[in-house]
Amino acid sequence: MTAPSARSMAWRRRGAAFAAGWREFAKQRSGVIGLGLLVLIVLLAVLAPVITDQEGLDVTKATGGTMDPPSSEFLLGTDRSGRSVLLLTLWGARMSLTVGFVATLLSIAIGTVFGILAAHYGGWASGTLMRITDFFLVLPSLVLAIALSTVLEPGISTIILAIGLTSWASGARLVRAQTLTIEARPYIERSRALGGGHLHVISKHVLPAVLPLVFVNTTLAVGSAIVAEATLSFLGLGDPDPMRPSWGTMLRSAWLDSAVIAGAWWYLLPPGIAIGIVVLAFTMCGRALESVLNPRLREG
Amino acid sequence: MALLELHDLTVRYRSGSRDVTAVRGVDLTLEAGDTLGLAGESGCGKSTLAMSVLRLLPSSAEIGGRILLDGEDVAAMKWGRLRAVRWTSAAIVFQGAMHALNPVRRVRDQIAEPIVLHADTQPSAAELRERVDSLLAQVELPAAKSGAYPHELSGGQRQRVMIAMALACEPRLIIADEPTTALDVIVQAQVLSLMTNLVAQQDIGLIMISHDLAVLASTCERLAVMYEGRIVEEGNAAAVIAAPEHAHTRALAAAFPTVGDPAFRYAPSTSSPLGLPEPPAEAPSDVLLRTEDLRVTFARGRSVTHAVAGVDLEVRRGEIVALVGQSGSGKTTLARTILGLRQPTSGRVVYDGTPVPVSSRGLRAYRRQVQLVLQDPTSALNPRHSVYESVAEGLRIHGITDDERSRVAAALEAAELRPPEEYMPLLPHQLSGGQRQRVVIAGALALEPHLLVADEPVASLDASVRGEILALLLRLRAKLDLAALVITHDLGLAWNIADCVAVMYQGELVEVGPVDEVLLSPRHDYTRSLLAALPTTQPTTQPTEA
Repeated sequence: MTAPSARSMAWRRRGAAFAAGWREFAKQRSGVIGLGLLVLIVLLAVLAPVITDQEGLDVTKATGGTMDPPSSEFLLGTDRSGRSVLLLTLWGARMSLTVGFVATLLSIAIGTVFGILAAHYGGWASGTLMRITDFFLVLPSLVLAIALSTVLEPGISTIILAIGLTSWASGARLVRAQTLTIEARPYIERSRALGGGHLHVISKHVLPAVLPLVFVNTTLAVGSAIVAEATLSFLGLGDPDPMRPSWGTMLRSAWLDSAVIAGAWWYLLPPGIAIGIVVLAFTMCGRALESVLNPRLREG
Repeated sequence: MALLELHDLTVRYRSGSRDVTAVRGVDLTLEAGDTLGLAGESGCGKSTLAMSVLRLLPSSAEIGGRILLDGEDVAAMKWGRLRAVRWTSAAIVFQGAMHALNPVRRVRDQIAEPIVLHADTQPSAAELRERVDSLLAQVELPAAKSGAYPHELSGGQRQRVMIAMALACEPRLIIADEPTTALDVIVQAQVLSLMTNLVAQQDIGLIMISHDLAVLASTCERLAVMYEGRIVEEGNAAAVIAAPEHAHTRALAAAFPTVGDPAFRYAPSTSSPLGLPEPPAEAPSDVLLRTEDLRVTFARGRSVTHAVAGVDLEVRRGEIVALVGQSGSGKTTLARTILGLRQPTSGRVVYDGTPVPVSSRGLRAYRRQVQLVLQDPTSALNPRHSVYESVAEGLRIHGITDDERSRVAAALEAAELRPPEEYMPLLPHQLSGGQRQRVVIAGALALEPHLLVADEPVASLDASVRGEILALLLRLRAKLDLAALVITHDLGLAWNIADCVAVMYQGELVEVGPVDEVLLSPRHDYTRSLLAALPTTQPTTQPTEA
């Protein structure tokens, strides 16, 4: 028998740790339900071009009547231009989830980098970085996002940028606090005494210890990014292309088309409920994940 | 009637599927005015035993047998009676006074708390104040200190406050759980003599828990040694230490060497078959590391602290130097500066004839030569890294990629973790304290250094492991010609392994020289007071006040 290499040993250990984590996660019913919902929604969104016809989003080719109530042909009725609300909601999931994920990744990436650098280097670097963080923290993020999306070209990338750039500050504070506690551990000093530089300490010791927290934070942040996207789109700052609807733009057009006055509940409720379910699912997943990674939360 | 009687006491902790039995059938009797020392290593059940007397154990603990406090069965007490008994009949001096005191309340209020809680009629503010002042006087603290917050007091003063708290309701039994573990020798001597006097004056029963036989011998008449939940030896303290019967007692007694006893010179207690190397024949010649008028000052606002105030220290090739001093004497700062982890304010460190560079690139090469071993191996290892990764870390940092596996194996072998293959995939939490410290040492050895800087390398280890690690350092020196700078507050350690000793006091080296000279005929007053404060296994009537 040949001795296993260090790398394969490390991978096997990671695999075992992951399996143990999964067992702990599976014990929490709400987390499993949340994950199931998310998998279902992501599958539907990814498969939308396969199971439906994008042509149906084109107002010129819409077949339904104006704000028809739910029927066998249109399960969730139609909007003002005669498009299927079910189709819109399905395609809206693509847009909302994309914006939610990418904006969160952007925000978490900025937050993690800022947090780790501020905590690791300390001194004036920390001061500068944290003052910038404080600036973004006190700025009303919705106003900033509105300002950004009016200045930039309207479209999906603008809205991602607007959300990502305004929501990273609290993550940076969190990561900084965690990094500070890690940096105080003696094994960091041992690593320095062994000759490890900044890059070594950050990549081998700090980052792996901070990542679980970042991961949980990400899961919880996606929900709020989706809400932020809906808010901005509702205010008319979203992607104006009718072929790329999001739940926010659906709500906006429902409002503009006076769906409430017309009594067209099928126009308003599906995007609203969809937002609620997705955010809830992310939160449930995030909470379950948090208690897996932080055993102290398991009691009570 | 005895003050405290334990009959066949067992304590079992239920935790999920596994039960842990901490105490297995202990019989003990303590009369009023008796002093009993309870010795044992961590995990032997001595703290559990003490806490069970007042039913202070967590709800997962299952108590069997009988505990009679003043003839009353503790297990049968109702909640209200138990509350009344706690502190009025028996009080506890907890370990680690910093954590046992409330940081946001003045010590006066904290001492008064049990008095107020247990008084039948509410005492007036003036009475309370008078009582607290008299308690503080008993523990030899000025009444002015009563307005202080815990962080404004020194470690020894905090421990005195804890003792005053324990005395507040005039209990008949005091249980002291490692009351001096975190304290310096001089402060320890003061606290111990205070406790001995109080017990003698007030006819209180005292149970003192410690892992240090010398501490117990200097305060207690009787000694009980616990091992794996049982009392393996009990008797007159002096007799037990002079002629220990149980093997475990012998190990405990040998772990704390008597300074000045030639039997302990270059002979830490070890049961390893590898034995001990011969003491070095001739004095080593060339200087490996030298500090020249090294100074480190901390400036915080207007106050300036001279942590290291002009230190000239030499470590020769293959020599073990012990740097001894109280906490706050600057010895840790000195070590950090030698390692290049901190920049000196002035002066320099010269290694092998060349000054240690300041740039991080230059330091890298230096750090292959000089390695650090930290005090607490549990926190010195990244809990996420396996033994292999921890040992290989230094190799990877220095880009030594050839033959990594065999280098790691050799380092583990040198640190006597055999066979190395078995240890490689383990994570730190799967190892014992001594094994962890060996991993830390292996991590340092992997880079084939010439000098180890060890900061209290055995302070957080159990007595039996302590000797093994010290013996390892001696064997490494013999085999690899490895020099070591060992930082310690423990003069016994210096006597055990060091060639030279440097005594540090308030940032300066007050005395440097061969161990036999400095410890047997100290010239400086501070060294003398350190030696005088050492608790000895020969019970003395009065430990010396410094």
